[in-house]
Amino acid sequence: MKIARTDIVFAVLAGVTGAMTYARFGSGAVVDALGRAGALFLQILPQLAAGLLIGGLVTRLVSREKVAKWLGGSSGITGLLLASLAGLLTPGGPFTSFPMVYALWIAGADAGALIAFISAWSLLGFNRLIVWELPLLGVEFTVVRYLACLPLPIIAGLIARWLGRWPVFRLAEPEDRGA
Amino acid sequence: MNGPLILVWVAVIVLAVLVWRREGEAGLRAGGRSALDIARTLVIRLPLALLTASFLIHIIPVEAMTRLVGPASGLVGIITASLVGGLLPGGPMTSFPIAIVFLQSGAGVPQMVALVAGWSVFALHRMLAYEAPIMGWKFIALRMGASLVLPVLAGLAAGGVVAVTGLSY
Repeated sequence: MKIARTDIVFAVLAGVTGAMTYARFGSGAVVDALGRAGALFLQILPQLAAGLLIGGLVTRLVSREKVAKWLGGSSGITGLLLASLAGLLTPGGPFTSFPMVYALWIAGADAGALIAFISAWSLLGFNRLIVWELPLLGVEFTVVRYLACLPLPIIAGLIARWLGRWPVFRLAEPEDRGA
Repeated sequence: MNGPLILVWVAVIVLAVLVWRREGEAGLRAGGRSALDIARTLVIRLPLALLTASFLIHIIPVEAMTRLVGPASGLVGIITASLVGGLLPGGPMTSFPIAIVFLQSGAGVPQMVALVAGWSVFALHRMLAYEAPIMGWKFIALRMGASLVLPVLAGLAAGGVVAVTGLSY
């Protein structure tokens, strides 16, 4: 187990937000947050494990060449459409979808396809729609919201490809072990 | 056990069977190894990230933000709602109940659509807890750049949909 720079960033973030919570709301709030984080961790573990396994298994099924051809930099609008459809159909929370994005990235999908995938998952995902939005906000609002958001993943993918011309936004090769 | 959880594990099993039929046990082991590699990088940062997110739920003043959006109208309301949506803490179980508060306080449909879309794409909380540990900050910069206008577009499009179909809530 290696401690990477990102881990230190998170330790600092947890320390700072923890200190702010303690200063403003006292130790009760800190204990409350600890309990909430612990419960959340246990709750997401089964989904996180599934997400990691799906990512790992998908890399065995789909060759790098195929992913690069379908979702790579020269896949055009078709690639963005495919990525959006995959994102829309991806079940589960962020602990499932982000490992899949990571796997697609390693497998050769370009930035536009990755952004289209995650945008479609977050804006159009069926899972949240059925479990939360329909029951809580009603059919009519949900229909309006869904129609208004339908083209957005493609637009985001196109913008991501366009942004890629500036080095700040260009993704490096995936750090295979997250050093 | 809930529905989505069953669904993802069914997906795991289906994929595992497909891999096993093509590559046998070696394929399964390789797939598991690549999953473990990512899991190992998450061991430290994920618990810390979840902790940070839990502290944020205390720190971010949700009620003050409710007043900010209110029955605001027009483009300024849409932009404000997008930003407020991005700051809503927690998963759907906390943010949708907050959205109901906005809805009942009389916000317009386009503003509400912008709020839900803003929560979906910006999701400060999700970004800190999952996206940064797994994908890194550079990916977040790219995604933020590509997503900045989306909630506003969604709000404007919702205005169009409402005008054409007459749907409301």
